Amino acid sequence: MRKIFALLIKFYQSWISPAFAPRCKYYPSCSTYASDAVSEYGAKGLAMALWRLVRCNPWSHGGVDYVLTKGTKTPIKTATTSMNGRI
Amino acid sequence: MGSILDPLYYAVSWVMVTFHTLLGYVFGEDSNESIKWSLSIIGLVIVIRIILIPLFVKQIKSQRALTALQPHMKEIQKKYKDDRQKQSEEMMKLYKEHKTNPLASCFPILAQAPIFFALFTVLNGIARDVPHGVLKGDLLISAQDARFFGANLSNTFLSSDSNTQTKLVTVLLIIFMSATTFITQRQLMVKGMPKMDSSNNMMLQQQKIMLYVFPVIFAVTGVNFPVGVLIYWSTTNLWTFGQQFYVIKRNPTPGSPAYEELAKKRELKDKNSGLPTTDEPGTTMVDPAIEQPRQRQQPSKKKKKKK
Repeated sequence: MRKIFALLIKFYQSWISPAFAPRCKYYPSCSTYASDAVSEYGAKGLAMALWRLVRCNPWSHGGVDYVLTKGTKTPIKTATTSMNGRI
Repeated sequence: MGSILDPLYYAVSWVMVTFHTLLGYVFGEDSNESIKWSLSIIGLVIVIRIILIPLFVKQIKSQRALTALQPHMKEIQKKYKDDRQKQSEEMMKLYKEHKTNPLASCFPILAQAPIFFALFTVLNGIARDVPHGVLKGDLLISAQDARFFGANLSNTFLSSDSNTQTKLVTVLLIIFMSATTFITQRQLMVKGMPKMDSSNNMMLQQQKIMLYVFPVIFAVTGVNFPVGVLIYWSTTNLWTFGQQFYVIKRNPTPGSPAYEELAKKRELKDKNSGLPTTDEPGTTMVDPAIEQPRQRQQPSKKKKKKK
């Protein structure tokens, strides 16, 4: 399940997102955040990802917001983080 | 059916029926039903996009505020020249510090998806004789006959009862959708964005996707969509293009090629309006008239901002 989700996001990042202007207010982008969150937390990660999408609204100021690891609560810095401002 | 989306079905059908009724007053009692229903879908687009205008204005405002941040931005670019990840991270921090984020944000697109789905369901309901919201009874019967250039509004390319005319119209609409998406995004990439955001590699990939992948995606999904949904989609695309065209011409993002173009143009205008003072007196008489409307516009724009 987690793998399917990761693949879907990968597909989105490489084939759909690049054709649109960057729009995400956060770093890492909402899609990278979703991918990280689901691979770390599973179903709870999905909820986290949805909450991030809701936070990425016209009234927010955005900023840097990483998914934290379960144990040590250190930020997950995925190497494949997508480009600046992508969803 | 979906009880969560029921309010949306009501909203979508209500807007359509209201436009249909209003257009009835405009065009007269026994006016063409097809035109009225087609225009009511376009009306739905207009209503939604007008509701979204404040969000758009907000985004433009924060893009303008970037001018003040330009020195900081250049510093970051210099400092993390070889690390794009760190560069974007620092950039986002900067935006947050100054409480001005020029990016549009992700949620609005997702929020539009249910509306799109609701329209899809309402139109499918017309084809299957299932009433949704206020679109029922006589209205449903009249909507069932409505056509757009001969194509039934609720028919899809793939539906069994679609004729050649329907297939032709859907194909043309899909081509139109692909073309408008391509032109809009290309315009933004080439003219509308600060140069730092577009490395060559990214641009190439973007254009490849827009040229080849998007028409395919539109074609695959589009053949399953009723003509009415395709009209909605095409109109929205056209609106987006118009909106962007206006902004790029009149209010470009600081640092973008369009911004530099406008700055040059203004400089040239200022020079031209300054020079003729030494020329014939006739031209000097004209110049203040050209200058004035421009000067009047600017304070009125600033006032709007303060509100």
